[in-house]
Amino acid sequence: MSEATVTAPAGASRAGGSAPAPARSRRSWLKPLLLVALLVVLLALPLYVEEFWLRTGFAVFGAIVGAIGLNLLVGNSGQLSLAHAFFLAVGAVSYTYISGEEGGLGVAELGGLGLPPIVGMIVGVLLAGLAGLIFSPLAARLRGIYLGVASLALVFIGIHVLNSWTEVTGGFNGRAAPNFELFGFAFANRDPELYVLGVPFREAERLWYLGLVLALAAYLFARNLLRGRPGRALQTQRDSEVAASVMGVNVQGYKARIFLVSSMYAGLAGVMYALSIGSIAPESFGLELSILYLAMIVLGGLGSVNGAVLGAIFVSALPLVFQRYADLIPFVGDRGSGGLAAGEAARFLFGAAIVVVILFEPAGLAGIARRITGRFRRPGGSVTQRPPESHGPTSEPTPSDPPAQGSTT
Amino acid sequence: MTGATAAGSATGPAGPEIRSDIPPVEVDGVSVRFGAINALSDVSFTVQPGAIHAIIGPNGAGKSTMFNVLSGVYKAAEGQVRFGEHRLDQMRPYKIAGIGVARAFQNIALSGTQSVAENLMLGRHHLTKAGFLAAGLRLPKATREGKIHGARIAEIAEFLDLGEKLHTPVGVLSYGDQKRVEVARALCTEPRLLLLDEPVAGMNAEETDRMAAAILEIRSALGISVVLVEHDMGMVMSLADRVTVLDFGRLIADGTPAQVQSDPEVIRAYLGSGDEADPAEAAEHHAAEHHAAEHHAAEHHAAEHHAAEHHAAEHDQTAEAGRRPAADPRSSDSSGATS
Amino acid sequence: MTQFLSLLLNGISLGALYALIALGFVIIFKASEVVSFTHGSLLLLGAYSIARLSDSIGFLPAVLVGILITAAAAIVIERLIINRLRGAAVISLAIVTIGVDIILLTELIRRLGSDILNVPHPWGGESFRIGSVGLSQNRLIAFLVAAVLIAAFFLAFKYSSWGIAMRASAEDGETAALMGIRQGRVSALAWVVAGVLAAVAALFLVGSPTPGVTPTAYAVALRAFPAAILGGLDSTGGALVGGLLIGIAEAMAAGYQDQLLFLGRGFSAVVPFIVMIIVLMFRPSGLFGTKELTRV
Repeated sequence: MSEATVTAPAGASRAGGSAPAPARSRRSWLKPLLLVALLVVLLALPLYVEEFWLRTGFAVFGAIVGAIGLNLLVGNSGQLSLAHAFFLAVGAVSYTYISGEEGGLGVAELGGLGLPPIVGMIVGVLLAGLAGLIFSPLAARLRGIYLGVASLALVFIGIHVLNSWTEVTGGFNGRAAPNFELFGFAFANRDPELYVLGVPFREAERLWYLGLVLALAAYLFARNLLRGRPGRALQTQRDSEVAASVMGVNVQGYKARIFLVSSMYAGLAGVMYALSIGSIAPESFGLELSILYLAMIVLGGLGSVNGAVLGAIFVSALPLVFQRYADLIPFVGDRGSGGLAAGEAARFLFGAAIVVVILFEPAGLAGIARRITGRFRRPGGSVTQRPPESHGPTSEPTPSDPPAQGSTT
Repeated sequence: MTGATAAGSATGPAGPEIRSDIPPVEVDGVSVRFGAINALSDVSFTVQPGAIHAIIGPNGAGKSTMFNVLSGVYKAAEGQVRFGEHRLDQMRPYKIAGIGVARAFQNIALSGTQSVAENLMLGRHHLTKAGFLAAGLRLPKATREGKIHGARIAEIAEFLDLGEKLHTPVGVLSYGDQKRVEVARALCTEPRLLLLDEPVAGMNAEETDRMAAAILEIRSALGISVVLVEHDMGMVMSLADRVTVLDFGRLIADGTPAQVQSDPEVIRAYLGSGDEADPAEAAEHHAAEHHAAEHHAAEHHAAEHHAAEHHAAEHDQTAEAGRRPAADPRSSDSSGATS
Repeated sequence: MTQFLSLLLNGISLGALYALIALGFVIIFKASEVVSFTHGSLLLLGAYSIARLSDSIGFLPAVLVGILITAAAAIVIERLIINRLRGAAVISLAIVTIGVDIILLTELIRRLGSDILNVPHPWGGESFRIGSVGLSQNRLIAFLVAAVLIAAFFLAFKYSSWGIAMRASAEDGETAALMGIRQGRVSALAWVVAGVLAAVAALFLVGSPTPGVTPTAYAVALRAFPAAILGGLDSTGGALVGGLLIGIAEAMAAGYQDQLLFLGRGFSAVVPFIVMIIVLMFRPSGLFGTKELTRV
């Protein structure tokens, strides 16, 4: 929240605030071209890239969906929630139960409805949304930070339920998640066997495309939402609840609705998580997961959809990459060799990155990216025209200095 | 209430055509309390349809509390506020906006990261319908709605000299521009009653004149009622059809600018009695210390300071308090000249 | 009845420890508007330091050094990070402490590895009995120490210049600053006090009946969050009441777990959170927290 950009001193009002209209036209063809190129690369990737990267990619797509959802809630509507892991769990468990088969391995008797996976996915998303909706009246009444702590409760209650409700969740050991399937086409290694340009399209390849489609849809929906009427209402409400309500926004209603949307995103992310790992287990949905999602949106940039995407890629891919290249990265290695385990190294990095971002670059990766593209587009000092990025819920554009009263007397 | 209603309407909204759907605002015996403090006690006045009605008074007089009651932010402990068949004192703020009451905030409450156009679009909130699904999926009806209302917004922005800045983020605008965006946003709700909370505070002389002209034009072009809280006496006296004066939460005068200016109680409230330069300010300080000791700081703030959540507001107050004793005598001079 | 009494005693002693931790949350919040998510790892740091050091330098010196280390860590966090963010949004401040927590916790868990460290309390694991009502000696001493500390805290908060300065800046930071109160110092001291309280709580929390220093100590600190919240984040008295309430509720749920088995095993660990949710439903600012007035 750079004070200098908020307001010019009142005395200098006319001269100080002459912002040129953004030069949009000049490079307007470049952006769509880049986007199309990116899409082509993403579509063609399974032809060239090995399974590890595709599996990582699917995990990242899931994280993107979840992070966008959390950012809508925290970044755009200013409600700090640590309960994201809980809503992911609702989605994952619902999917597993609804589309899973009955059965029992050893001690645990597992239930399952055996419905088509697409039904499981949709109902999982809806149930996660419902859980969010049930919690939202309480959420809407709580001041920001009270909500943050209150939402902790959902995580711990969720873990307890996961551990206890063995018939549905598989209890301590968890249970396997069914493969996804759409109209008889399985996102698995066979059914049907499939080759594209001589490359076998197995589970990893198929899931890649599923992830791409879901993440893209989640991305577009969020972008449109924020650019539209609800987005304006949400962001004004974040900056000043009183101003929003006086302008005709039903603040309580909007808070509840964004909670619903955010937890539906989490539910979908949960389903994708279950598909990515192939199973669900209680310890996967602990506080740590919530904190990782928070790390994603903070590192990416609060309130920015692009930021959520960048943050999700960074946070969810980093440990996997560390793991794979442990021997190439200094300090990282096996526990035995005296180095840091990959997961630990990644956690240190996240922790430090959160602190550094909040201290020095509140706009996160998105802010950095915007600065780079801004420089690229308009060389010179035009970077300073960048809007002051939101820095949490209280970024009202209050004048940083008292208006120069002398000018009126 | 002083019995000057007849005189008020005589000099009142002359010229402009008053829209038929604009009822009077009847404030009837309103009291607001914060803990032990009476922010408003038994205040009654009427805003005639199509009038420019100013509420003035020293700091801590309850002006902003009155505005907060009119816009539904504070609930009155007693009394009624009627706007036609609606009871504003019983409605939630967003419902009040829905029946055509708009407010521009003193301490700019815009969304700094959003562009001027987006901020103005928020003013159209209750006139538009696109929900989460329609907006998220970009259904045709949402896009169409955006286009139609976008045109009207450009018009209003143009009216307040903001046309060129439509796509600039509000956060980088000058203070004067931001003040105008506040007013423009309120106008974008197509109000029947416009509440302006110190629309020229902190503006320079030229900007003040332009704002005053804009307010007159709003009234004459739209024929709506305007209620104004303002410290700039020159502006109040030249603009207002009617003036309500509050002091310590009580109504001490209500009438035409000329009547109010010659009212002895008003003069006392503003100029202070004898050597005490500003009794209101002194009393306020006294109250502040007293209540801080009793852990009532929160209530104190809400009642005495019409301040926003931020420190800037406090600065504002101190600056204002410092300015006032000097400003007031002079501005009543100037208003004498203009009226 | 004896079971009930015994549970009540256990609950009160546990609650006193929660109150110590919760007081730390509250004073940090009052002094610097920060909700410190670093508290769990600070507590673990205290427990770890005491346990590691007591082998080499003996129990009492280890306790003192452990408290010092924790307090030092707290002040380092405050000076290096929190102090630079004065005036930032509450959510940013909370998130930055989560970042610190991730670093500290990762390091501590890495050091702990899979072994269980023990703090060699001189009072051992024996129980103290009146008739058939029993309480572990560790918890009894914990209760006494906590009671003394809490009393000292409230006296200091009321009468010391620091306490007055802190209350003044919590009421109205700007005015307090104008009156010459250095908010930086107030906030630094608050973090130190919170660190000390957390370390003392840690000393007892890892003793009987809990088995040694494990990452679960971190989860215990998290249960002090509900205590602080349900009392009201800006109310020191609320922290005390909240701590006791949470402690008693948890001890009861643990003691009657056979009757509560339909709610699943280990239900007592979530009881603090359920109590918190129920309280917040009716009082969104906690039992004694001040409601925030909207100011425009």
